[in-house]
Amino acid sequence: MKLLKLSISGVRGIVGETITPELAINFACAFGTMLASGAVLVGRDTRKSGEMLEEAVSAGLTSTGHEVLNVGICPTPVVQFLVKKHRARGAMSITAGHNSAEWNALNFINSRGTYLNEFEGAELLDIYHLSRFAQKTMGQTPRLIHELNPEEIYFSWLRSRLRVEEISRARFKVVADPCNGAGSKFIDKFFRMLGCELVAVNNEGNGYFPHDPEPRPRNAGEVASLVKATGANIGFLLNSDVSRVSLVTEQAETLSEEYTLPVVAAYYLKNHPGTVITNLSTSMMIEDAARKFNLPVIRTRVGQSAIIQAMLEERASMAGEGSGGLAMSDFQPAFDGFATMGIILEMMAVEKKRLSDLVKELPRYHIVKDKIVCPSYRLHTLVAEARKLYPEAQINDLDGLRISSREVWVHIRASTTEPLIRVIAESPVRNRAQVEVDKVMAFLTRMVG
Amino acid sequence: MRKQLPLKISVSGVRGLVGESLTPQIAARFASAFGTYTGEGQILVGQDSRPSGLMLKKAVLSGLLATGCQPVEVGILPIPTILFLTREKRARGAVVVTASHNPLSWNGLKFIGPEGLYLRASEVEEFLDIFHQGEFTFVHSNRIKPALHEKQAGRLHLQKILGRLKVRAIRNRRFRVVADCANGAGATLLPRFLQELGCQVLLMNAEITVSFAHQSEPSPENLKELCRRVKEFGADLGLAQDADADRLALVDEQGRALGEDMTLTLAVAHVLSKKRGPVVVNLSASMAIEDIASRYRVPVFRTKTGESNVVEKMLEVKAAIGGEGNGGVIWPEVHTCRDSFTAAGLVLEFMAESGQKLSGLAESFPCYFLVKDKLPCPAELAFRAVLELSHKYRAENVSTADGLKISWKDSWVHLRPSNTEPIIRLMAESRSKSTTARLIRKFKKEVEEVIKKIS
Repeated sequence: MKLLKLSISGVRGIVGETITPELAINFACAFGTMLASGAVLVGRDTRKSGEMLEEAVSAGLTSTGHEVLNVGICPTPVVQFLVKKHRARGAMSITAGHNSAEWNALNFINSRGTYLNEFEGAELLDIYHLSRFAQKTMGQTPRLIHELNPEEIYFSWLRSRLRVEEISRARFKVVADPCNGAGSKFIDKFFRMLGCELVAVNNEGNGYFPHDPEPRPRNAGEVASLVKATGANIGFLLNSDVSRVSLVTEQAETLSEEYTLPVVAAYYLKNHPGTVITNLSTSMMIEDAARKFNLPVIRTRVGQSAIIQAMLEERASMAGEGSGGLAMSDFQPAFDGFATMGIILEMMAVEKKRLSDLVKELPRYHIVKDKIVCPSYRLHTLVAEARKLYPEAQINDLDGLRISSREVWVHIRASTTEPLIRVIAESPVRNRAQVEVDKVMAFLTRMVG
Repeated sequence: MRKQLPLKISVSGVRGLVGESLTPQIAARFASAFGTYTGEGQILVGQDSRPSGLMLKKAVLSGLLATGCQPVEVGILPIPTILFLTREKRARGAVVVTASHNPLSWNGLKFIGPEGLYLRASEVEEFLDIFHQGEFTFVHSNRIKPALHEKQAGRLHLQKILGRLKVRAIRNRRFRVVADCANGAGATLLPRFLQELGCQVLLMNAEITVSFAHQSEPSPENLKELCRRVKEFGADLGLAQDADADRLALVDEQGRALGEDMTLTLAVAHVLSKKRGPVVVNLSASMAIEDIASRYRVPVFRTKTGESNVVEKMLEVKAAIGGEGNGGVIWPEVHTCRDSFTAAGLVLEFMAESGQKLSGLAESFPCYFLVKDKLPCPAELAFRAVLELSHKYRAENVSTADGLKISWKDSWVHLRPSNTEPIIRLMAESRSKSTTARLIRKFKKEVEEVIKKIS
């Protein structure tokens, strides 16, 4: 099966199968046709296919008359920040985030530095499908600028947003694993700025992924053993474009990526009370964290685009997902791994608590995630079929099906990035979530046949 | 008349109007087809100075990277230098983003094989099959290699030419030279080359700019400025490269443009005087070539127009020298490619060794008048029009190897549809100016009538 997923925030697939130079040029031309003339940023993570796509995208954007500002290997949140700084018309970030090395994706960012919203995304896809691109005849060589050290202004902005002095004074020892992705090298500068001692692993930035670049306990082995060996205060695991973070405590406990959002919320909401946005698949821990400050939680569709749109509409204080990606009103409306790591260190410094103590304050839930591969054209039909499992229940169908009772909630949805149906359940009761997931998976397996 | 088709895919590569027929998508597809054809390995990527070059180069890089080739960017370089380097570096091939003398709104891609030669007709056919079938061998992402940059590319080429010339003899003459690089890629190397030969150089149009200073075809009409400067500067000669720097036109010390065909005539005469061997030229090169060759009793082979045809024959007959009447000299001592640097070197060496002025050398050959003209004609009509005419003249001494060439005792006329533009090229040569002009007028009218009849 050839995998290609078009969604409003980007196009994703396996390089050489569906992600080809021509596809990338077509999408860049469509994006270039949609944007008013001006500069467009292009950045990428370290994947080996990144340069190929960067060249294709630059060709497409310049052919539609745009100036290209190439920031090279650069984390997506930094690209998003620079769009506004450079008053660019938009940006393309070439990264498949948490997907394995053979994948890549084009992510489209508007002039406000956020992922395209559903209207912009629909327009882009319309232009792409019509393939009527506003290609120019080129009387002049288009401007193509290579921006060196693009992160400088980003880090100096970040420094102004964090209580750097208090963090520095704490002299934290930090282990970080950027998975040889776009965060490599950038983390050296970042932790030096915060006065932390860094023990880095997989910090070569060579695009060779020693494990899938998905921040979750399964991939956190190296970080955990280094935390233990070096006596570090905390361990961070990043995805390939530094939009997601998962944590390892000073006791070398690998925390589920679900913890990142509630851990940050417990501190951030205290100083910045306001609405919290999350998606339908994220752990209930965030409700508990918000309830402490009597703050509402709004659940939206899954994906950075939907979450950030809701955050802006609701003027929310923070927004994030159980995947370890989150945004805060004091920073930028983007999933920003640097801001996330910064605020967690600030919390440890200000509250003078260890990470394991902060985690202990959160209620323990049992969350189970599973997935089943299914042809793209049957994804939504099958999800709808699963309704039969719950004839009596109240169902939230904003994004797939979400059924919640007092003791368990389950979310069945079609992935927007891969041809998969994801099934997630959570319960305070041990094994209860597993039972629920098993029930749904058995049903879906039968249906897929 | 139907709309003119602006994308030309031919033996010489692909050319089109940027933003209309020549898009980055097509460039990437061609590059992927080429990468599939050559297999994984190093591929040189060069360009000329056209404004659309950067955009198309990016597309080409992407297409090559995806097929697992390792592109080596050589930047803006003369075509002969890229051809030379491809062989020298043992690359799998090269892709050059250029439309040589076409107007600025055009661009194109040329494909070079591992021997440092343009793909032969049979190779082009294989490669185009891959393009048309669209089945490219994209590699797994972990086999994609990063692109490389070659900064010293020009030096190797110049060293090779200088090694084959009597450099000291040329240096001793301290020639005064006005060099017109037509704002093309030749400007990257010609000044250094002439300096090495001890020339005092006045450069014209040596900035690699977005717009060519004049029509880049080095025909006499485009060289007025150069002629004026040669007189002003009191130069021994003037050199005019085309934008690719594969062709060379000359201006003598009196400020007269010699006509592009004279470059080849001089080169052939000089090379044969040192080393006898077969001569290969195309059908539209001057009759003077036969006169010179008969002096040295060496055979002359005439081929279809197009560098690759001449080169193929030259390799086959082990020619001593060859080329095209448009100022493209091929001297196999350096490499079997049209090369304005070798051409300039040979002419300077000829002057140095003979001790004569350029005008004197030019006058020593039997006098012919060659005129080139063209008339617009849609691509799909051009071949039919030429075919019609060849029927009409079949009683004469006719060659239809490439368009139509009709030869009489002391004159000939040659009509051929262009491979790269929607035009028919028209050439005639005779012993007098008026006869040549009459031939041109006559055949221009006949072609126009035929086009009217069949369209």
